[in-house]
Amino acid sequence: MSGKSRRDFLKSTALIGAGVTGLTTTAKAGPQNILSEDRMGVLVDTTVCVGCRNCEWACKDAHNLPAGNLEDYEDRKVLDTKRRPGTDALTVVNEYSHGKNSSLPIDVKVQCMHCDHPACVSACIVGAFTKHENGTVTWDTDMCIGCRYCMAACPFQVPAFEYDKALNPMIMKCDFCFDRTKEGKLPACVEICPVEALTYGKRSDLIKIARDRIKRNPDKYVDHILGETEVGGTSWMYLASKDFAELEFPKLGKNPAPGVSESIQHGIFAYFVPPISLYALLGGIMWITKRRKELDEEVK
Amino acid sequence: MKKFLALILVLVFTIGINAQQSPGKDHSKLNLSCKTCHSCDVPTKSDPCLVICPREKITTVYQKPEQTPELITINQLSDRYGPVYFSHKIHAQMSIMSGGCENCHHHNTSGPILKCNSCHETSRKREDVSIPDLKGAYHRQCMDCHREWSHETGCNSCHTLKKDLKDTKNESLQKKYSGKDHPVIIEPTKLVYETKSDKGKLVTFYHDDHTKKFGLNCTSCHKQESCTKCHDVNNTDKSKNQKVVTKKTFEDQHSNCISCHSKTENCSKCHGEKTLEPFDHGKKTGWALNKHHINLSCAKCHGSKLPYNKLDNKCLSCHKGWNAENFKHSITGLQLDEMHSELSCEDCHTDGNFGIKPSCDGCHDDYSFPKQKPGKLVK
Repeated sequence: MSGKSRRDFLKSTALIGAGVTGLTTTAKAGPQNILSEDRMGVLVDTTVCVGCRNCEWACKDAHNLPAGNLEDYEDRKVLDTKRRPGTDALTVVNEYSHGKNSSLPIDVKVQCMHCDHPACVSACIVGAFTKHENGTVTWDTDMCIGCRYCMAACPFQVPAFEYDKALNPMIMKCDFCFDRTKEGKLPACVEICPVEALTYGKRSDLIKIARDRIKRNPDKYVDHILGETEVGGTSWMYLASKDFAELEFPKLGKNPAPGVSESIQHGIFAYFVPPISLYALLGGIMWITKRRKELDEEVK
Repeated sequence: MKKFLALILVLVFTIGINAQQSPGKDHSKLNLSCKTCHSCDVPTKSDPCLVICPREKITTVYQKPEQTPELITINQLSDRYGPVYFSHKIHAQMSIMSGGCENCHHHNTSGPILKCNSCHETSRKREDVSIPDLKGAYHRQCMDCHREWSHETGCNSCHTLKKDLKDTKNESLQKKYSGKDHPVIIEPTKLVYETKSDKGKLVTFYHDDHTKKFGLNCTSCHKQESCTKCHDVNNTDKSKNQKVVTKKTFEDQHSNCISCHSKTENCSKCHGEKTLEPFDHGKKTGWALNKHHINLSCAKCHGSKLPYNKLDNKCLSCHKGWNAENFKHSITGLQLDEMHSELSCEDCHTDGNFGIKPSCDGCHDDYSFPKQKPGKLVK
C-alpha cells in the first residue's frame, strides 16, 4: 500500500463527500426569492390600448426577429383574424368588438404572463426554465431538449415551438425583455406604446393602481384584475371593460398551475405511505385468496 | 355714538379684508396643489409665502374658444418625428358640445392653465406610474377621439417623419389656421327616431323649434357628445330615420327631454305611430300668435321657469302699463278715427277681454264689428 492508511482514505472521502453535499446545498440554498415584494410587472389597460401594434414591431426589433417597417403595422386588416404568439412574434394584439360602441373596438395584447408560480418551470424536465426575482420567466435554449412539456403545462398556452426548423428547433416565448431590464431599460413594448396602455412597475404598485382605476371608473371597468390571483398570480395583469372570457382569456382558478401536477405526484409518494399501503392491500388480497385456495383444497 | 360707528366700521373693514384674502379654514383639504398659491413647502400664518397672483394675465380654462390660441406646436418629445401642429381653436370650438375645455384640460384648477408636463412626467421610466407619462397623456388625448371617427391609429395621421420634414410646414400651417373657425354646424330641422317603445315607435323631434322658438342653447342638451356624432368616416347617410339602439336606462334615455317636459306628460306627446306635427301655439293653446308675438322667445312671456305657466289671453296680464292714453291702436292693424280714440278701452272691449270681438252696442244700435270699423285698416 502507499503511504496513505485506510483511515486517511476514509477521512478524505468523507471530506469530499461533505464538500459535495455542501456545494449542492449552497446551490439549492440560493433559490431566488421569486415572490419578492419588488418583483416587477406590467398592467395592460385594454380600455386604453388603441391597437396600433407598435408593441409587436418593437418586440421583434428587440429580439432580432424580422420586423419590417413600423409604418406597415398601420394595416388594421391583420386584426380581422385572431392570432396567437408564435415563433415569429412573441407578442400579438387581437381585436374584439366593444358591444356598446362599435367604433371603439377592444384591443388585447397577448404574450407570456410570467406567472408567479410558473407551470413551465415545474414541468421542464431538464430545468431549462428559470423564474427570476424580478418576475421574469426565462429559458435556456442550450438546455432545452425540445420535449414541449412547457407548452402542455402553460395555462395560457404561450410557449411556441419552431416546428418549421428541422435542425435544433427551439421553444420561443416572451422573455419580458430580460436583457433590457437588466440594463435598466424598459421592456421594448412598454417603451414604444404611444398611449402607455402598458404600465411597467412593481407588481404591488400596479395592483394598487389598477384597484384605484376600477374604483374611480366603475362604469368603465369590470371589477376584476386578471392576473392578480389567477393561477396564483401573474406578472402581467389586465384591466378590461368587459368580461375576460369574452376576450378569450382562459377561465382559471386561483391555485398555481404547477400545484395540480405537483400535488398528484407528491401525494402519490408522500412519506411512501400510499405505495406501502397499496402493496399491503395487494399483499392482503393475495394472502386471502391463497388461504381460500388452501381451505378449498383441505375440504376436497 | 361716533365711537360706536367707528368700531362697527373697523369691524366690517377687517371682516371684508379677511373675506377677500382667506380662502377658508379648510382650504388645505381642497383638491388643489399647495404650490398653486404658496411658493414655500410649509406656509405658516406669519409667512404664508403667497405667490403673486397675476390674475389679469391668467389664461384659465373658462375662456371662449375664440380667445384661445389658434395653433399649438407640440415638440417636446419629438425624436423620430417632427413637431405636431395642433389646431387648438377649432378643437376648442368643437369641444363646446363635448365636455368643454375641461375635457382635455382635466383636473385644472380655476387658476391658470396648467401645462401637461406639470403633472405628466416626460420619462416613461419613473417612480410614480399611477398617471400616464407625457407621451401617453398626449396620445390618449388625441387618439381617443381620432381613432373613434377615423378608425385609424397610424402615426402618420398626425406625425411627419423627421426625414420628410419641410421647413416651411409651420408657416404654411399657421396660414392655414389663422382666422379659421370651425365651420358653422348645420342644424337639423326635424329628426325622426325609431325606438322600440310600444307606446308609439316614432319620436318626432323638431330641433329647429327647440333652438329657435324655445331658445335652447346647444349645450342645454349636447353636453357630452362623442366626436362621431358629426365626424365619422363610415357614416355617410344621415337622412334616414335614426334608429335608437341603446342600452341606456329609461331615465338616461329620456333625461334630455324630461328636464323640460315633465315626466307626467303623456307618452303620446312625443311617441306616435306616425311622425308628429311641429308645435303650433294656436292649435295647442287656442291662441294663435300674431306677428308681434311669433318671434318672441317663450320665456319672454312664460318666464324662464319650466314647465311654463299657462297664461290668460288678457293683454293687460303682460302689458301692465297699457291704457287708453299710451296704447297705439294702429299696432293692431286698425287706426282709430278721431272720435273713437277719445274713448276708453272698455267702451268697446267689454270686460277688458281683448281676445273676443269688440262690441259697438254701447253707443250704436245696429253696428257690429267688423262690418263697421271704428277707423281705417293699416298695415
